[in-house]
Amino acid sequence: MSPRLFLVACFAALAVAALAAVAAGTILIDRNLPPEVSYVSNIVIVYGGGIMFLLVAIIAVMWAYLDHAVAQPLSTLVRNIQTILYANPEHQIEVEDAHQLGALPQAVEELVHQLGVARTRVNEAIAEATTRVEEQKRQLETILRELHEGVIVCNLNHHILLYNDCALDLLHVGGQLGLNRSLFSFTNRQPILHALGRLTNRLAGQEAHPEGLTVPFVCASTDGRHTLEGRMGLMLDVEGNPTGYVLSFRDKTEELAALGLRDRLLRESTEGLRGPVGNLRAAAEILVAHPDMAAEEQAPFKQVVINEANFLTTRLETLATHYRDVITSHWPTTDIYSANLFNNLMRRLRDERHLEVVMTGIPYWLHGDSYTLVEVLDMLIHQVNQHSGADTFDLEAVAGERHVYLDVIWKGAPIPAHELDTWLDRQLEDAFGRLTIRDVLEHHKTDVWSLPHRETRAQLRLPLPPAVQQGAKRERRRMPSRPEFYDFDLFRQQPDLTEIGDRPLKSLTYVVFDTETTGLQPSGGDEIISIAGVRVVNGRILTGESFERLVDPGRVIPRDSVRFHGITDDMVKDKPPIHVVLPQFREFVEDSVLVAHNAAFDLKFLKIKEEEAGVRFDNPVLDTLLLSVYLHDYTQKHSLDFVAERFGIEVRGRHTALGDALVTAGVLLKMLDVLEARGITTLNQAIEAANSIVEVRARQAAF
Amino acid sequence: MAKSILVVEDEPNIVLSLQFLMKQAGFEVRVARDGEEALREVESRAPDLILLDVMIPKRDGYDVCQTIRANPDWQEIYIIMLTAKGRDVDRDKGLSLGANDYVTKPFSTRDLTEKVKHILSDAA
Repeated sequence: MSPRLFLVACFAALAVAALAAVAAGTILIDRNLPPEVSYVSNIVIVYGGGIMFLLVAIIAVMWAYLDHAVAQPLSTLVRNIQTILYANPEHQIEVEDAHQLGALPQAVEELVHQLGVARTRVNEAIAEATTRVEEQKRQLETILRELHEGVIVCNLNHHILLYNDCALDLLHVGGQLGLNRSLFSFTNRQPILHALGRLTNRLAGQEAHPEGLTVPFVCASTDGRHTLEGRMGLMLDVEGNPTGYVLSFRDKTEELAALGLRDRLLRESTEGLRGPVGNLRAAAEILVAHPDMAAEEQAPFKQVVINEANFLTTRLETLATHYRDVITSHWPTTDIYSANLFNNLMRRLRDERHLEVVMTGIPYWLHGDSYTLVEVLDMLIHQVNQHSGADTFDLEAVAGERHVYLDVIWKGAPIPAHELDTWLDRQLEDAFGRLTIRDVLEHHKTDVWSLPHRETRAQLRLPLPPAVQQGAKRERRRMPSRPEFYDFDLFRQQPDLTEIGDRPLKSLTYVVFDTETTGLQPSGGDEIISIAGVRVVNGRILTGESFERLVDPGRVIPRDSVRFHGITDDMVKDKPPIHVVLPQFREFVEDSVLVAHNAAFDLKFLKIKEEEAGVRFDNPVLDTLLLSVYLHDYTQKHSLDFVAERFGIEVRGRHTALGDALVTAGVLLKMLDVLEARGITTLNQAIEAANSIVEVRARQAAF
Repeated sequence: MAKSILVVEDEPNIVLSLQFLMKQAGFEVRVARDGEEALREVESRAPDLILLDVMIPKRDGYDVCQTIRANPDWQEIYIIMLTAKGRDVDRDKGLSLGANDYVTKPFSTRDLTEKVKHILSDAA
């Protein structure tokens, strides 16, 4: 019951009681009047009624006053407190002016103020702790993500609490492992239980185990196709009771299979050859020891010699083929990106002023031991420098049929094979175990040789196996490409009348570029989120001279587009806006010829921002898509993927702006050769060829 | 005039067979036992075809091949590398340095003879 209602009830009761008392009194007096004064009866009744009326009036006035000065302010105060508690901590307490609550409102106000201060402190402390936890969590996530081992954390019921991408790969699960699912949906049960049992026993035991609270384990994926090897570690709470465990593991399947194969090959090449060699030897000895044997007697022995020799030949070929595929090595070989390898090498050589090293071409993935390969290349470059005096080198990766070649190119003559051979026995300077170049080559099952390179240059060529491509991560998802985009007005370029237009295509400097955008509508609010370019000079892709920026588009990146480019709002959050990046790109471009695949699309985005950024892109433009249509009009397939495939350019790392720019640069270089063969040698001719295609498409579009 | 073949090989056991086979096929055969001798033989009179082992003393087969290809007069010489190195990389290296063909040991003597006959009849 509210205070006001209570007050009403009290006063109502009081009024009723007072009325009843007066009424009872009046009736009593009236009844007991002596007959001689009965004439006053009316007067008594009138007085009684008057007193009752007066009493009710007094009670009503008292109620009204108390309600106004106490009950109402109390309710107001309660509502105020409720507002502060549940809605607005900043709310100021307002109570009716004429209240009779004394210092209560001020006391409550003070209380509220103190509460507010305390609340703020608590919130601050919580926020700080949250930030710290978030930061630690982020670090942990980074570590987990970068680990080349699978990591899974489970509670004691074997429910998965946490895992990293690598675990996903190793367990060959598409999509998600699913938190809180049982680990045993993915691995077999017994080895895990066994390892956990060992650990809990160890925890209960008195003496500390030298390995601490971790044990090695080997288990299999549930389908039995993959063997996983790793360690299990126990997780304890503050009181030292186990709460769960961490598994870190690798896939041993290939390694174990390779070891098994190698053992089998060894066995077959020893035991397996004893028989045939024995037969061969016996037959040969008999033929020699008995020269006077009759011809028909000799014939079967000769047949044995031929048969066994043939058998041994086939056998040897099989063994050799199998051995070639055995990729066991006690070396820590991994997939390496050639650009990273070359960058490491260039960093080492940077201090040596007399050597200039430039990375060119499209980078490729290969397989090997990065450290010793860098050592070997470093040493070979120094040897070439001493031998020939060459001091400027290009580093380029080239995709061959079975290998990725690492080429070191310089101006001069190839190194004679006998000279090169003597270099191979030199020990590497910083390598462990007194390795020679030859050792490293042998470990990689490869060799090195020197060849002429184009007219006046020479190269060292080092073949290496291509990347193994473990896991699904690096597998290229063939993503739908952008629709062809035409802006016919933009693209009817006038032939360039300046001197540059008549210069040979191969002598020009190009910037091949690509953008990633929030969508396909440059005029409909879509924005650039990434722009990258690479310089091409004298038929060389200068991989090291590239431009790559993420751009804050100033709008949300649609989820649909993220699957094309993988760039999220978070990634562009702190990046500069387009009006900052575009002038930088303008500076990078200088007066070179701009090249892009489906150039009208990218150029439209640039043009729209020209005014805002205060720059102009009036460079001549070549579109590899239009040129592809011009050169290969027999097909409709002119997306970058198809064009690159047609020119034999391996496509990796696509759908990043730089990745696409590099592939387009590779396409451009191949195209220049084909264009030349078609009689198109100058920029103006190339622009005319492209224009002719635009005309055709414009006419098609008109129908 | 009979076509001439230079066998560059240091292992007498296989020289024996190669020499016999090539003579049987009607070619003029010379033998060199190491790289330097091979180059001297080529210099004195260029053969039509060389059967070139890779693992020979002094200058190895790759070196001999590269040296021969560096001389414009010797571009026509057909070079078949005969080798116990059977890896892809070795074949790649041999062909890159100027060999026309690459045959790994052990090989069929009949196939080799047929191959040589075919090449030298085409060249005629």
